[in-house]
Amino acid sequence: MTEKLKNIRNFCIIAHIDHGKSTLADRLIEKTGTVSTRDMSDQILDSMDLERERGITIKLTPTRMFYTLNGEEYVLNLIDTPGHVDFTYEVSRSLAACEGAILIVDASQGVEAQTIANTYLALDNNLEILPVINKIDLPSADVQKCRQEIEDVLGIYAEDCPAISAKDGTNIDEVLKQIVERIPSPKGDENAPLKALIFDSLYDNFKGAICFVRIFDGKVKVGDKIKMMKVDKTYEVTEVGVFTPKMKPQDMLLCGDVGYICASIKNLSDTKVGDTITNADNPTLKPLPGYKDVQPVVFSGIFPVDGAKYGDLKDALEKLKLNDASLKFSPETSVALGFGFRCGFLGLLHMEIITERLEREFLLEIITTAPSVSYNVYKTNGEMLEVSNPSMLPPPAEIDRIEEPMIKLDVYTPPNYVGAVMELCQDKRGEFIDMQYLEKTRVVLKYHMPLAEMIYDFFDSLKSRTKGYASLDYEVYGFAPSELVRLDILLNGEPCDALSMIIHKDKAYARGRQIAEKLKKIIPRQLFEVPIQACIGGKVIARETVSAMRKDVLAKCYGGDISRKRKLLEKQKEGKKRMRQFGSVELPAETFISILKTDDND
Amino acid sequence: MTMIDTMIYVHIPFCDSKCFYCNFVSGIYKDDIKEKYFKKLNEEIEYHKNKNYNVTSIYIGGGTPSSVSTKYIGEILKNIFKNYFVSDNAEITIEANPCSLTKEKLQDYKKFNINRLSIGVQSLNNKCLKTIGRKHTKNQAINALKMAKSCGFKNINADVLIGIPNQNYAKLKSTVRILKKFVTHLSAYMLINEPNTKLTKMLENNEVKVVNEDTCVNYYNKLVKYLNKFNFKRYEISNFALKGFTCKHNLGYWQGNNYLGFGLSSHSYFNNERYQNSSVMAKYLDSDFEVEKHKLTKEEMIEEHIMLGLRTIYGVDIQYLKSIGYDILSSKKDEIALLEKNNFITVVKNRIVVNQDKWGVINQIILKLLP
Repeated sequence: MTEKLKNIRNFCIIAHIDHGKSTLADRLIEKTGTVSTRDMSDQILDSMDLERERGITIKLTPTRMFYTLNGEEYVLNLIDTPGHVDFTYEVSRSLAACEGAILIVDASQGVEAQTIANTYLALDNNLEILPVINKIDLPSADVQKCRQEIEDVLGIYAEDCPAISAKDGTNIDEVLKQIVERIPSPKGDENAPLKALIFDSLYDNFKGAICFVRIFDGKVKVGDKIKMMKVDKTYEVTEVGVFTPKMKPQDMLLCGDVGYICASIKNLSDTKVGDTITNADNPTLKPLPGYKDVQPVVFSGIFPVDGAKYGDLKDALEKLKLNDASLKFSPETSVALGFGFRCGFLGLLHMEIITERLEREFLLEIITTAPSVSYNVYKTNGEMLEVSNPSMLPPPAEIDRIEEPMIKLDVYTPPNYVGAVMELCQDKRGEFIDMQYLEKTRVVLKYHMPLAEMIYDFFDSLKSRTKGYASLDYEVYGFAPSELVRLDILLNGEPCDALSMIIHKDKAYARGRQIAEKLKKIIPRQLFEVPIQACIGGKVIARETVSAMRKDVLAKCYGGDISRKRKLLEKQKEGKKRMRQFGSVELPAETFISILKTDDND
Repeated sequence: MTMIDTMIYVHIPFCDSKCFYCNFVSGIYKDDIKEKYFKKLNEEIEYHKNKNYNVTSIYIGGGTPSSVSTKYIGEILKNIFKNYFVSDNAEITIEANPCSLTKEKLQDYKKFNINRLSIGVQSLNNKCLKTIGRKHTKNQAINALKMAKSCGFKNINADVLIGIPNQNYAKLKSTVRILKKFVTHLSAYMLINEPNTKLTKMLENNEVKVVNEDTCVNYYNKLVKYLNKFNFKRYEISNFALKGFTCKHNLGYWQGNNYLGFGLSSHSYFNNERYQNSSVMAKYLDSDFEVEKHKLTKEEMIEEHIMLGLRTIYGVDIQYLKSIGYDILSSKKDEIALLEKNNFITVVKNRIVVNQDKWGVINQIILKLLP
């Protein structure tokens, strides 16, 4: 092993949301003097405003630190990881780029769902796990209980693990010391052909798509010809460098290093997370294991509130896609909503992030239709269709069967909420698989459940039924046949495509009634009476009516003062712009998302 | 030099008391302010003098013009006649309330060439009158109307309010049944709860109950039918008249006539420009009569013609719209067809007219027809 490799430590931090991952990262950076205190803003690795605001990390921002222990200088490469189920695959690739992981556990909350899920992911990647108990400054902190939990639930020795307060900076040195002492140095052969793992990528307007890499074997420098093994494309390297955490060019990246490679790559989709980069002239025989093409699981239509902004929406989505290769979209036309896009997301959080970014960063007003999953529809003629847009479902007579995506769901809850959780899961068509006591105060319930039920209001219901104590983790495992029907909503006798949904037949009646009632509240009175009908296969199952408007007039005119009339007119004109014309019916923008929230609270 | 037709509005912001529903620029002022105000008002009338202006109507509104001494009214009118050309058949209206109207005042008005009276009756139910803070009673109102007739006024309007708390249709109908014997014109308004009025506060404190909107609309529709039986035809959203007694001044506002507004907060529309005086008394008294004017753009002219025109039985002029660049029949083909099919509008002889029973939702119809 070279001198250089011996002094490198590549590690990441894993934690449940809110357990203080980004804060610890900041303290490590501060302690090692990587960023001057003057430049420190809270949680510098969370580069997006949205991330900082929500306290979650979506994008990974690696950083290189220097730390001296017993007269030796070490290079510590920190790879931050996102802490949400939607991004499990990204997490697994970040983990694969490391030799060790700091596992943060909140001293007051103990081991949580994501703690367990991420620990297993880290173990799968053969990482050395270094538990750290955080937030010891909290009055409710119980360090000893926390150590016990880590040992009992995760089976990791925790007796001498550092107990810290990332917020106050307590015991940060101990963490740094253990990183050096306990996490193994990287292995690899500097003289072997290049083998680098892409664990993230970023789009830069000047440099093109930039690969964030961990070099496992060999070296790479400017001018080298490199090849993306999965994508099968060759580029010439224009820049290599490391993260300080700002990108800083270097002459060369050697095996063991974490850094970046630029090669005038135009499309972010050519830099797929999990792909292996090798030297085109001297390629490695075998790529690194574990590559997976990430597929979206949640789909939704996104339309501009003002139809004229279609072009702006398209530009915005394209820009977002430059930085987020997992975002998929294709043009869609709706009778009710006009021109827009059907978008595919990794999960609900991902969807929420994208829609919020469209609104905040691009100042677009958008209408989002109810999220749907992608169904496999087998037609009687033997054809199979993937249907993620309810209005594309073929007529019932042409359908042999429909299969829907299923998830393995783990719900972690204190034992006193087991009943409430089971009731909810049953209600959501979940199939009970197993229940285990992880410890006295924590139970895991395992279910198989349709993904469609998960994306409709499950998380909120779970939180409200368990007073926020339960947490969950899930993964899509396959498809299962199901008795599904399309529920259509007719406004003034016309089916409104953007309000259609695919739903289990046992639930269709109740939902139809709920939606009709909800729409009656949302749709304002207009010149004409608006009948609202919920239908399944042409059969009306619920009916409501919005009666015609009776009065909208400014009668009085004081001495020729028409300014009030003009003001009102301008206000009403503005309001109209936000309305969607559907036949003779005008629908407010919120109509389309409101039908999502009809459960418990109404 | 060709004559330019115009109307004149004069604002008298003085009242003896403030009605509970009123949020208009009017109120109770000291006598020295009144003195200064009328001096300023006459200066303003002189300032804009032009003998080439053919005045087709004069409207003295308020406030309560009848609450001030007739001396002031006489001066104003004399001043207008002196500085402008007032057409022989000009309609000259003054607003009055039953409390302040006396025989002497009426005789003076007659002398000043005033030929139309608009009396704020509002209701002939004593309870209703009290609820909204009117100071007169039913009998005072009837007396005022009788006096006006005996003094020779042949063109009289009465204002009526619909939707006064506790007013039912029977009370409303009985008010109108009596009024129609005295008047040639009726203005019927739905009571609006304006912000910052005593009435709105009373409603918030549950001292009185609001009449719901659908009920008001029902009353109004019934009233329209009732008045129609007695030949009071609705010619504008809120106005009804016997044949030959429509208010020229009121119609002028909707038909794009010129009008000069004199006095506190008064509005003017002249030569496609809109402007208004300050609504702060101190500022008006200090004014040099030069105000910022807004020249209407072509788009605004189109919008206004639709917005204002549809309020009357004459509707909008399709050819006129075309002449200023808006071919409404082709650009709103679908909307017009839908509205016609559902009996909201009628397209007749180059005009689009809102059907009378649909005037209550005119704002929505306007929105559908705008460019």
